[in-house]
Amino acid sequence: MKLERLASLNLTLAGLLTLAVSVAVYAASKAPSPALVVAPLGLLLVNLLAAVATNRVFRANLPLMLFHCALLAIVALAAAGRLTHFKGQVELAEGEVFEGDVGEVEAGPLHRSALDRVRFVNDGFTIRYAAGLKRAETRNAIRIFDAEGGVTPLVIGDNEPLRAHGYRFYTSPNKGFSLVFRWFPRDGSAVRGTVNLPAYPANEHRQALEWGLPAGGPRIWTQLQFDKPPLDPDAETTFRKPGQHRVVLRVADRRWELAPGEQVVLDRGVLVYEGLTTWMGYTVFSDWTMPWLIAACILAVASLGWHFGRGFVATPWDAA
Amino acid sequence: MSADFAFLYVALATYVAAGAIALAGLARERPRERAMLGLLAAALVLHGVALALRWQRTGHGPFITMHEILSSNIWSLALVFTLAAWRYRPVRAAAAVVMPILFVMMAWMVSTDPAAGHLPATYRTLWLYVHVSLGKVFLGSVVVAVGLAGVILLRRATTGLPWLAALPADARLENLAFRFMVVGFLFESLMLVAGAVWAQDAWGRYWAWDPLETWAFVTWLTLAGFLHARASLKLAPAAGAAMIMAVFVVAFLTFFGVPFVSMAPHKGAI
Repeated sequence: MKLERLASLNLTLAGLLTLAVSVAVYAASKAPSPALVVAPLGLLLVNLLAAVATNRVFRANLPLMLFHCALLAIVALAAAGRLTHFKGQVELAEGEVFEGDVGEVEAGPLHRSALDRVRFVNDGFTIRYAAGLKRAETRNAIRIFDAEGGVTPLVIGDNEPLRAHGYRFYTSPNKGFSLVFRWFPRDGSAVRGTVNLPAYPANEHRQALEWGLPAGGPRIWTQLQFDKPPLDPDAETTFRKPGQHRVVLRVADRRWELAPGEQVVLDRGVLVYEGLTTWMGYTVFSDWTMPWLIAACILAVASLGWHFGRGFVATPWDAA
Repeated sequence: MSADFAFLYVALATYVAAGAIALAGLARERPRERAMLGLLAAALVLHGVALALRWQRTGHGPFITMHEILSSNIWSLALVFTLAAWRYRPVRAAAAVVMPILFVMMAWMVSTDPAAGHLPATYRTLWLYVHVSLGKVFLGSVVVAVGLAGVILLRRATTGLPWLAALPADARLENLAFRFMVVGFLFESLMLVAGAVWAQDAWGRYWAWDPLETWAFVTWLTLAGFLHARASLKLAPAAGAAMIMAVFVVAFLTFFGVPFVSMAPHKGAI
């Protein structure tokens, strides 16, 4: 008797309306609790299972059963996806190889990383802008390295991610300029590295960053200066590096201005500014449930169409 | 003035004429259904030409600005309604409810900035057309149902309207409206799936609870709630009609209200 109560269609209706309100509240909240959505979903889940167990008419209706099973599959897959998904951000300067390091990671507790199997190099990008610096196409040339030593060139960009080892790498709206330095420490071998400045043109007037030299070296405040902005905001243009530019360095109360090829002598070594290049931001994503989710959704719609279609065909619409 | 605007304003005038015939027809023993359908068809052709010319001029479809979104939806809603009214005679009287809804959208559209917008790179995908087309069939089906529901409620609220009095019984009208709601539900489901596929490629996530996604899902739940209530509560025709109206309000606010107050999502990052 209790199970039949749990299978009540009125409870289904209450659950649907509660879920609708919960979803609206969840999305509007600044720090929403997943319980807001999980609780009414759980109620609907119990209600559905009870209906399957107690309602013979329901069980005998194949398309309706298929529809509800597909809904169950969607909820189960979405939950599995939350437990195993991966999302992160990475920036690669032109010529830099991705070797598995990702920041701003958001991953499910059961995610098993295979990022160390993905290797590719950013070979540079082109971005076209309409007047008003409205971003149009992004095309990013990359080369992928496989385990056997093979190299495959590829162009990725809008709507076309790199797919490798279960991960997708999407070019993000973030991209900008990189300063290339070579550091010659007094005791040790030279190191070449890049400093990725804040995204451009989003941070056009904040092209500065503080960073640290290797092995506990001093913190260096660095700013890129150019007389003429490289992107004309009033015309169609493409992303390009500024022609004439200087790099301002500050260490404590000392200040230098460097052109490409110039150097500064610091207490622990010599820092050479080699020149300017670009960096591209990537959003890294992985969720194995996606194709199964689509399949479950298509099954749900098809079975519901089958269920209603049978009735609609039996009685013409004119005579409905 | 560009040629597309000339066609657009002639089309709007033709819609208004069709709507006027529909509203005047409420009081007539023999409403001019054929004239109304003929004018609607003419308006659709003129409006279609206007949209095509604008598409050619701007280089992209009517998906970007509020002016374009309203214009293309007026066209698609009128198209679905005209096809339904041409095929199913009881739907024709629903023009008295549907056309005023389109009038509101037309007034809103002419008050918006008609300048062309920028097509974000993420919109250059087949999934845009799939997603938008499914959404238009969804909303068009719901609008036909709303017209029929409005007729049921109008008949209860008024007397002496011969066109409405000559229609089939409320239960039959409500059943017809229910069928259009079912079609709407199926197409909204497919619209959500297509939107998720597009969002995955465009923004690297298939679902992120942005306002438009959230309210599209809330609309889906309210529509599911209506279908369930109709099956489980054995609703009277007037109650069913009232629920259809409620679902439409949520759907309309989702389609036109959320993009109006929140421009960030579904616009691509600049």
